[in-house]
Amino acid sequence: MYTHEGEDVFVIDGHIHWWNASKENIKHEGGEQFIRCFYDYHTGFTPEERQWSLEEYRQYDADRLRNDMFGDGHADMGIFQPTYLNEFYKEGFNTIDRCAELKDENPCRFIVNGRFDPREGEAGLKELERQREEFDVQGVKVYTAEWNGDSKGWRLDSDESFEYLEKCAELGIKNIHTHKGPTIRPLNRDAFDVKDVDDAATSFPELNFIVEHVGMPRLDDFCWIAAQEPNVYGGLAVAAPLAKSRPKKFGEIMGELLFWLGEDRILFGSDYALWEPEWLIEAVMEAELTPDQREEFGVELDLDVKKKIMGENAARLYNIDIERQKEILRDDGVSEEFGLAAQYGEGATADD
Amino acid sequence: MSRTQRVDRTAVRTRLDRVTDPELDRSITELEYIDEIEIEGESVAVSFTLPTAWCSPAFAWMMMTDARDAILEIPEITDVAVDLRDHMHAAEINEGVNERLSFDAVFDDADGDIEAVREELDEKARAARQYRAVSALLDGGATPEQIVGLVRKDLTIDSEGRTTVRLDETLSICIESEPIERYLEKATATGVANGTDAGLFVTPEGETISPSEFETVHRRGRLAATNMSGQGHVCANLAEARIGSASASD
Repeated sequence: MYTHEGEDVFVIDGHIHWWNASKENIKHEGGEQFIRCFYDYHTGFTPEERQWSLEEYRQYDADRLRNDMFGDGHADMGIFQPTYLNEFYKEGFNTIDRCAELKDENPCRFIVNGRFDPREGEAGLKELERQREEFDVQGVKVYTAEWNGDSKGWRLDSDESFEYLEKCAELGIKNIHTHKGPTIRPLNRDAFDVKDVDDAATSFPELNFIVEHVGMPRLDDFCWIAAQEPNVYGGLAVAAPLAKSRPKKFGEIMGELLFWLGEDRILFGSDYALWEPEWLIEAVMEAELTPDQREEFGVELDLDVKKKIMGENAARLYNIDIERQKEILRDDGVSEEFGLAAQYGEGATADD
Repeated sequence: MSRTQRVDRTAVRTRLDRVTDPELDRSITELEYIDEIEIEGESVAVSFTLPTAWCSPAFAWMMMTDARDAILEIPEITDVAVDLRDHMHAAEINEGVNERLSFDAVFDDADGDIEAVREELDEKARAARQYRAVSALLDGGATPEQIVGLVRKDLTIDSEGRTTVRLDETLSICIESEPIERYLEKATATGVANGTDAGLFVTPEGETISPSEFETVHRRGRLAATNMSGQGHVCANLAEARIGSASASD
C-alpha cells in the first residue's frame, strides 16, 4: 500500500497486462511492429535508469510481474485487460486464459477482465458466456482497432457491437473498458476514434464505459462525451507517465478531466508492463496543480481526490470493499512473499 | 545557373514556417521535423524526419504536400522534391507526393478520406486558436455578450501589430494582433468568418454562440488547446527516445 504524508492510499491498478511477444509467439510482422511500438512508448516515458531491454520487454514471468506490481510497485490489486491480437500472435498477445493463471495463484490480488470482438458472431457470444461462467468476469476490454481477416477495425456503436453489449448487460458484465487512445503501429489511427462511445453509452445506461488512455490524442472529444454521459469514465494509462516527464502538462490534463468528469470518474492505470507502477504511482501521487491551474479549472487534486483516482473509484466499479479487502490481503500469499502483512494493519486474526 | 537571382534558404524556411503538423497545430520548423534544405537553381529538395517511424501516414502526407506547395509559392522555384526519412511508409509517401499521386491511390486500404481528416483537425485547431483570441479579448476588457456579437468587419488590423476591435456603437478596444491573426488564418481555412458581416466566433460544431453558452464554448476551446499541446508532449517524448536509441543495435 502506498503511504502519502502518513496516510494509506489503497491502489487498484486499473490496467495491467501479462503479455507474450516472444519471437516464437509472433506469426505476422504486425506482431513485431506492435511490441516495438510499445517499446518506443516504454523508452519514451520511462526514466532512463528504469528502462527494460527489448528482450526483457517481450516476455516477463509471473514472479517479475508480482514483484513489479506488489513487491516494489505499491499496488494492492491489479485489473488485467486482455488484448488478443490473434492476427499477430500465435497464442494471442495477452489472453484471459493466460492472465487467469496468475489470478488462480493469487486470487485476491487480481481481477481478470474478459474481451469480445463483435466480428466473431455467434461463436464470440458463446465465448463471452464462457468467460463469464469460467472466470466470473465483471468487465471486458475491447480493442476497436484490432485486425480480423480483411477488417482493420470495428465500431462500438455498430449493430453487431450492440448485440454484444446486450449480452454483457444480460450476463452482468458491467464494465466496458475500451482502448481509445494512442495509435499503435501497425493499427489504424482512426479505428481508435472515441466518438463511437457516445451512442453506446447512451444506449446502455446500465453499463459503465471506461475509456482507456482518456481518448488521447482526442482528449477533447472524450471529455465532451463524458461531460454528457454519466456512465463514461476515464482511464489514466498513458496520460499518467506525463506526471513524471511533463508535470505541468499532467496538471493541465488532470485539470481538464476533473473539470469535465469530476473526481469520481477517473481511474489510475499503469498499463504494466508498458511502465512499472512503482515510479509511476510515485509521480502521480506527487503531482500538484499549479496555483494558476487551480484557479483556471476551479478544481483540486488533493489527497482525497488522489485516493479516489488510485483505488476508490475502481473499487466502486468492481464491488470491492476496501477495508474488507485489506483484511483479506493481509494474509494472502503476496503479503507473505513480500512481507506486506503489517501495512494492512494488525486486526483480529481470521478465525477460519 | 540560368537565373541571376538565387533563392536563399531563409525564403524557403519562411514558407515552411507556415506549414503545421495537423495534429498539433504547430509549425514543422519549430517542431524540428526538417533535416535539410538543398537549393539548386530553381529546384529545392527538403528532407524530413518525424517523431516516430510510425507516425500517421495521412499526417505525414499532409505535411509533405503542404511543404511542397508552400515552397512552390516562391516564384523562382519550379520544382520541389520531398524526402521523408526513417518512416515505415517513406517510400510510398515520397513517391506519391513527388509524383503527385492521390493518397487513396498510394494507400488503397487507407481508412477514411484524407481531406475529411484534415478538415476535422483544422476545425480543432480553429477551436484552440479561438480560445486564445477570445482570451485576449476578455483580457482587453470585452464582455462575453460583446464577443459573441462580433463580426469580421469589427476588426481593424494595423501594420504595427495591433488590432482595433469595435465592441459596439461607441466602444472600441485595442489588443495585440497575434492571437487574432492566427485565429483568422484557421477560421478562413475552415470557412468561418469569411465575409465582412460573418460572425467571428462559432461553437466547435460551427454554430452561432448564444451568450448563455459562451462559457462552455470557451472552455471547449481550452480543452482543444490542452489536447493538442498534450499530444505534442507525447510526440516530443517519443522523438527524444528515438534520438536516444538511434545508435542502439536491434
